[in-house]
Amino acid sequence: MALASGPARRALVRPGRLGLGDCAAPRRGAYEWGVRSTRKPEPRPLDRVYEIPGLEPITYAGKMHFMPGLARPVFPPWDPGWTHPKFRRPTPVHEQPLYKDQACYVFHQRCRLLEGVKQALWLTKAKLIEGLPEKVLSLAADPENYIENQDERLLNVISHARLWHSTEDTPKREVYCPVIVDSLIQLCRSQILKHPSLARRMCAKNYTLSTTWSRESFLLQVRGSSGARLNTKDPLPTVASKEEVEATENHVLETFYPIAPTVDLQECSVYDVEDSTGFQEGYPYPYPHTLYFLESANLRPHRFQPDQLRAKMILFAFGNALAQARRLYGNDTKVLERPVVVQSVGTDGRVFQFLVLQLNTTELASNKGVKNLVWVDSDQLLYQHFWCRPVIKKKVVVEPVGPTGFQPETFRKFLALYLHGAV
Amino acid sequence: MAAARCCRLVLRGPGLSLHTAAEAAVTAPEVAGPDVTAAPVARYPPIVASLTAKSKAARQRRVERWQATVHKALSVDEKLRILTKMQFMKYVVYPQTFALNADRWYQSFTKTAFLSGLPPPPAEPAEPAPALDLAALRAAACDCLLQEHFYLRRKRRPPLYQDREAIASPFLDQLVATLMGLLSAHNPALATATLDCKRPVHFYWLRGEEIIPRGHRKGRVDALRYQINDKPHNQIRISKQLPEFVPLDYSIPVEIPVITCKPDKLPLFKRQYENTIFIGSKTADPYCYGHTQFHLLPDKLKRERLLKQNCADQIEVVFRANAIASLFAWTGAQALYQGFWSEADVTRPFVSQGVITDGKYFSFFCYQLNTLALTAQADQNNPRKNICWGTQSKPLYETVEDHNVKGFDDDVLLQLVHFLLNRPKEDQ
Repeated sequence: MALASGPARRALVRPGRLGLGDCAAPRRGAYEWGVRSTRKPEPRPLDRVYEIPGLEPITYAGKMHFMPGLARPVFPPWDPGWTHPKFRRPTPVHEQPLYKDQACYVFHQRCRLLEGVKQALWLTKAKLIEGLPEKVLSLAADPENYIENQDERLLNVISHARLWHSTEDTPKREVYCPVIVDSLIQLCRSQILKHPSLARRMCAKNYTLSTTWSRESFLLQVRGSSGARLNTKDPLPTVASKEEVEATENHVLETFYPIAPTVDLQECSVYDVEDSTGFQEGYPYPYPHTLYFLESANLRPHRFQPDQLRAKMILFAFGNALAQARRLYGNDTKVLERPVVVQSVGTDGRVFQFLVLQLNTTELASNKGVKNLVWVDSDQLLYQHFWCRPVIKKKVVVEPVGPTGFQPETFRKFLALYLHGAV
Repeated sequence: MAAARCCRLVLRGPGLSLHTAAEAAVTAPEVAGPDVTAAPVARYPPIVASLTAKSKAARQRRVERWQATVHKALSVDEKLRILTKMQFMKYVVYPQTFALNADRWYQSFTKTAFLSGLPPPPAEPAEPAPALDLAALRAAACDCLLQEHFYLRRKRRPPLYQDREAIASPFLDQLVATLMGLLSAHNPALATATLDCKRPVHFYWLRGEEIIPRGHRKGRVDALRYQINDKPHNQIRISKQLPEFVPLDYSIPVEIPVITCKPDKLPLFKRQYENTIFIGSKTADPYCYGHTQFHLLPDKLKRERLLKQNCADQIEVVFRANAIASLFAWTGAQALYQGFWSEADVTRPFVSQGVITDGKYFSFFCYQLNTLALTAQADQNNPRKNICWGTQSKPLYETVEDHNVKGFDDDVLLQLVHFLLNRPKEDQ
């Protein structure tokens, strides 16, 4: 069923009530059967004269007042010529200009895929590799890339985000999650002294992406904006060599029959097929580098599960890469000479998911041929827990205020993803 | 015998400790000679005012007792707690206000002298001015402008009456972050600084007195209390203090405006709620000194609106009032975080910078806090004044057409860069 809600659905269900007399459709607030005290009076039944075919009823319309004995005139419904924006009815789905017969399955930022990463891999025709690529891991392990006093500064960042930056005793996740990600990016950007090409980057929030592709008779689309995006002037170098790319031809994508691969995607018949990277032509930082996803809802049910978050990261990174590839190399489907690489980081303030996606081919309709590559490093804790107030048992401080289970390795990977392409 | 009496007095109760302290203070000068021990010689306890009587002397004694608890407090948190725990009705001061001539009122509330222009540069520059790549900085600033004004395709229309702010806010974020990154090579303090986005800054202080006009306390003298709850768009905090612009006791010929009306006339309204003092992060944060604040004026105070209301002279007033209030609150909170308060005045000046903008017009302010003693009691013999330097507002660019910025002003950018390059003395 196409996007139809409330009154439009009622209009479709009861078409007979539209256009008859002056009190045509029920008022929006009333139920389908009408609350009796608010129901408009039923229109009077037509005179028996109108039931006799071929007879021209004589009405009192010309006399401009009621006359007993003459028939009650029936007037065409009044068209005021304009609609108030508050009471505008949306046009039926079939008449909208962008209506298409084939349904499109749209992935937006609140889609939680049932099969998670497996489904995302099928939709993007990609092969999963656990762990980040060696290039990035070597950047993480390289001692030259370490920030001075890294551990101390990281502990300060965590304490600032979790406790210090607000007058409340325990800041909420909606506040501390963006603060910690901003502070980590600020910390990474301080490496600009060592790597001047970090200056050729710009962050953008509120961008809107849209790309369309088809997979095995399904038309799929990624739409919407989700978080911040780091753009660069130079593209990321390819991560996997040509041999590894060609070796993916033998990989078989995992299906999850009987679940359809488009489950949990929004099906709609009114859509636009135009690709949009989110920026106009001539933008000086055209290449997407990293996407940052923040799961910052306060309540756990409102946040994405780690698997669903990874699936969202894969799909949005893929959407950005595909829009970029189409912009650079045209709309025809082919295997890319120079694959497009996009990275992604997803977090809820404590647990980080890292992702590197390499788009090798835009030939996505069939299941055969070269596949795209996805490296995922999941569930990396930056710290185990943060005590906002000290735990005191029997007047002895058992746990002081601060983070416990601090793992600097996670930040090294974050920094490596940031420095990738600029070192 | 005096010693025995002293012990007896101590044993009677903690409330009498002041007695013994007063006694020791009173009797110490009477005792002469190096060979006399510290035992007090007085035979009678000192005659001091009552603690509970309905008299001015008793009230004075109670006030001094409270002040002594503040002096004795071991940690800054405890001191702040004692200073702010009692809640009474106070005036809420809004830095971004539509009130006419608010800057003169705020100057009188905060004992600030306003000097137009910027503070004099330091006598001998420690090192030659660094060679700045102005073209790269200008390109980066133009890129930030164009990204928000032109290149970024936004889905939703901005909310009603906030269209200018919806573009200026991300532009200012981007500009500050980009310039901080580019200039950290020249200023090592920036590389280790913290950048806060839209974090609250609070300050609570007392200034002046009034006679309570009506109520059960009618006719009594009551201090005037003020509270600022500010939310700067961005602020940079560093771990060491910026160098002072002028010495602590510098005397300025400029007079502070004296307002004879009650603050209610501004208009300023009273409320009673939590008294908070906050620089942007708690006392445990090592980055407790301020560097620069960036403020974005809301659409309610934009130039076109003020011109339509025939308030063309209030355009600069809006910038000045915002700067004086916000920077006073920030520097005052920084000073309180270091343990100073109105009875323990600052021993070194606290300095911060501020940039107020509405997206196109920028004005630059420098603030030096020389005194926190603004209460009626502490201000009796206090010659020091706080100083605020400020410029007129200048446009950064003329227009943005398609993918070009027309009329970009390098002076404004240079001033911004100059502000960001300011660094603590130890680093120079």
